[in-house]
Amino acid sequence: MSAESKKYLKAAVLSVLVSLLAGAVVILILGKNPLSAYYNLLQGVGLAPKPRYGGGQSMLTDLSSYVDYWTPMIFAALSYAVAMRCGLFNIGISGQMLIGGFAATVLVGYSGLPAGIAKPLVVIIGILFGMAGGALIGYLKYRFNVNEVVSSIMINYIAEYVISFMIQTSYIDPVSRQSRAIGDNARLSFHQVLIGGYKYDLPIGFLIAIVTMLLVKFVFDKTVFGFELRAVGTNRTASRYIGIHVGSRIVLSMAISGALAGLAGVTYYLGYVNSIQPRVLLSTGYDAIAVGLLGNNDPVGIFFASFLIEIISKGSTYLQSQAGLEAEIADVITGLILLACACNFYFMERMGRKEKKHAERN
Amino acid sequence: MEESPYIVEMRHITKRFPGIVANDDVSIGVKKGEIFAILGENGAGKSTLMSMLFGMYEPDEGQIFIRGKEEKITSPSYASHLNIGMVHQHFKLVSNYTIAENIVLGVEPMKKAAGFLPCVDRKRANEEIAALSKQYGLEVNPTDVISKVNVSTRQRVEILKMLYRKAEILIFDEPTAVLTPQEIDSLLRIIRNLRDGGKTIILITHKLEEIKQVADRCAILRRGKLIGTYDVASMDTKEMANLMVGREVALTLEKAPASFGKTVLSVSHLTVKNEDGFPVVKDVSFEIREGEIFAIAGVSGNGQTQIADAIAGLLPAAEGKISILGKDLAPLDIRSRARAGLSYIPEDRQTTGLVLDFALSDDLALRRYNREPFEHRGVRDQKTTNTFGEELIGKYDIRSANGVATIVRSMSGGNQQKAIVAREIEEDAKLTIFVQPTRGLDIGAIENIHRQILGERDKGKAVLLISLELDEIMQLADTIGVIYSGSIGKIAPASEFTTAEVGEYMMGVKHA
Repeated sequence: MSAESKKYLKAAVLSVLVSLLAGAVVILILGKNPLSAYYNLLQGVGLAPKPRYGGGQSMLTDLSSYVDYWTPMIFAALSYAVAMRCGLFNIGISGQMLIGGFAATVLVGYSGLPAGIAKPLVVIIGILFGMAGGALIGYLKYRFNVNEVVSSIMINYIAEYVISFMIQTSYIDPVSRQSRAIGDNARLSFHQVLIGGYKYDLPIGFLIAIVTMLLVKFVFDKTVFGFELRAVGTNRTASRYIGIHVGSRIVLSMAISGALAGLAGVTYYLGYVNSIQPRVLLSTGYDAIAVGLLGNNDPVGIFFASFLIEIISKGSTYLQSQAGLEAEIADVITGLILLACACNFYFMERMGRKEKKHAERN
Repeated sequence: MEESPYIVEMRHITKRFPGIVANDDVSIGVKKGEIFAILGENGAGKSTLMSMLFGMYEPDEGQIFIRGKEEKITSPSYASHLNIGMVHQHFKLVSNYTIAENIVLGVEPMKKAAGFLPCVDRKRANEEIAALSKQYGLEVNPTDVISKVNVSTRQRVEILKMLYRKAEILIFDEPTAVLTPQEIDSLLRIIRNLRDGGKTIILITHKLEEIKQVADRCAILRRGKLIGTYDVASMDTKEMANLMVGREVALTLEKAPASFGKTVLSVSHLTVKNEDGFPVVKDVSFEIREGEIFAIAGVSGNGQTQIADAIAGLLPAAEGKISILGKDLAPLDIRSRARAGLSYIPEDRQTTGLVLDFALSDDLALRRYNREPFEHRGVRDQKTTNTFGEELIGKYDIRSANGVATIVRSMSGGNQQKAIVAREIEEDAKLTIFVQPTRGLDIGAIENIHRQILGERDKGKAVLLISLELDEIMQLADTIGVIYSGSIGKIAPASEFTTAEVGEYMMGVKHA
């Protein structure tokens, strides 16, 4: 680990501790015990035992369900990191997730294809449609110099409303008011699998996520392509001077970012859940920014950061039922982490700037 | 209290930064109404010392006395309260404001519109500034917008900004770095006027000629330490240079007689247009032969960098033909042109020539990282990259804190430039383009770069040198082309030009 990453790790751990402390103060003010509240979070995701379990459930049941919940976030945060590597801010991850998830739902989800064909097909369609969404943003940036933040927010809206329209006119389940549930043949997680008397949720996507994480890490650190992405991300003028095709790198990194968002989409909409709620854009794409920031946009850092953030997010349901605290307290803590992290970032930047200033003077 | 002879006195100043002592027990005293120069190479601690006087840093040890009274200068605004003003090397102006607005910004004259609405009294500001500029002979038009005026006018605006704030002690940080010979003369005249008007001037520079021309006394710094304070009249530039560098330096280089070979670069009827479709390079033609240094002299912004960019493929040529060894470059992209035999040391080393956040080894390998043996099937070979980096560091004397792992941003400007030159020369291209290769560098580094340029020529390479430093051009060039307003007015062997004559062509006064 380089000195720079060590410094960052220190800053990240510090921000988490500071925000947990600040969160504890909030919980105290609400008249609850912060320690037991935090313990409830761990219980909710199966990292600590609950006092009682329902039939066929155990700590591992909760943990498996948590991993299922966690998986899309790994992809989403990787998606954010790939774009960021090239200096682009992909705020359209949620939209790309929806595009990938919806395409896979209508093309494969209702098809009745055998599972051995349907599941890989879901993954491929998720990748392709997410990729198309991302590449479009990249192309607009390259060809017409449209700011990627603006275009991705707009595409988020378009995706959200067009897809809602299509669900409500063609794919609606009149009872649940969501899209009709997909068949288990196309679902990327096995739900309620009975092993040794207990039920588990087993996400295939998690394995893909780990492989993808390592692959992205390798591309970032070792390959010529990763090197060029970093060059373009840090200095576009120099990259052009040296002969890198900056435009193609921008389109490509947005395409890859979109593909990863598409994977996040299928592991959520055709994994953790099995339907799409119209007119709702997931917060995953935005939380991915927090995860990316906390994980220093490093694939391995992201893996651990997403683990942490998603504990707070998923565990909050149990926290609510046990401690009587609103689940929104989770958002407060996540927000605090993001804030502390951004501040740390600021301090590191400032340190860096001071050194730089000093270097320039001399 | 004893009466101090000095208006500014800094005693035993020490300032440390992580890993370096920028100023080590430095003491200087500046008398009222003199021009006091601070001379030193880049990294000698001149700017740090003056930044403490201007309140940007506070010293770790030592005291500062202003007008005999000890002061803790905690901020630039406090410095300004003490009537200290500074003209920075990089101007700090709002480019879409007028000259007057920039000058009054923060201390605007106010009036009450319609009897009660407070607003800036633009008319009074314009009048005051017109009067001030007349008083000190600093000609500006107060209503011009900054983005529309040239560099030397911007500098005059910075000076007026200080005067408007009633500065008595004026610090100039490398003020001539961006100016043409004629503009330098006029600035030095202004500085002398200011002194004669009773102001105290502190001049930070590494240009010996300027000190010789205007300064009364000078302090020489080397590696953070004060070497001494000297009367300028009592020593010559050679002595100053030796004290500054700490060894014997050659102010002029030995140059072997030229022997030209066949034509390497041929540019014919080149026209380059800017984004608005306005031609910035107009119908330019020239040739460079093997073993020839062809220099383009000109005032900044007359199209010379666009010529270089067009050759390298960074800008499209609207018309004309560029070829290297008879091979037309038009169909080639940037990278293929480099492969075809072109190296390019760009004007802006920090944003164009280098990726500052990269490790030195990566920046040194920027021309090769995507070729064997620096990569195998798309995977980079870090070992080869590092070995290559170490080789270049040794060969070109590039100094850095942590060898190849040093982040380039933390290196000095001179060593950054050496890194670029090393990388480009190592490509062994037929043609090497140098644009402003020694801008902002100190004598030691300049000498090094000049040797490299002559070395290329003596190896039989073609060299295109684009520089704003006339001395540099006169010293190195075999052939000179003078550019004015996008056209090359005259091309002739260097021996047929005098410096003054080149200056006249540069200003467009004389035509071929």
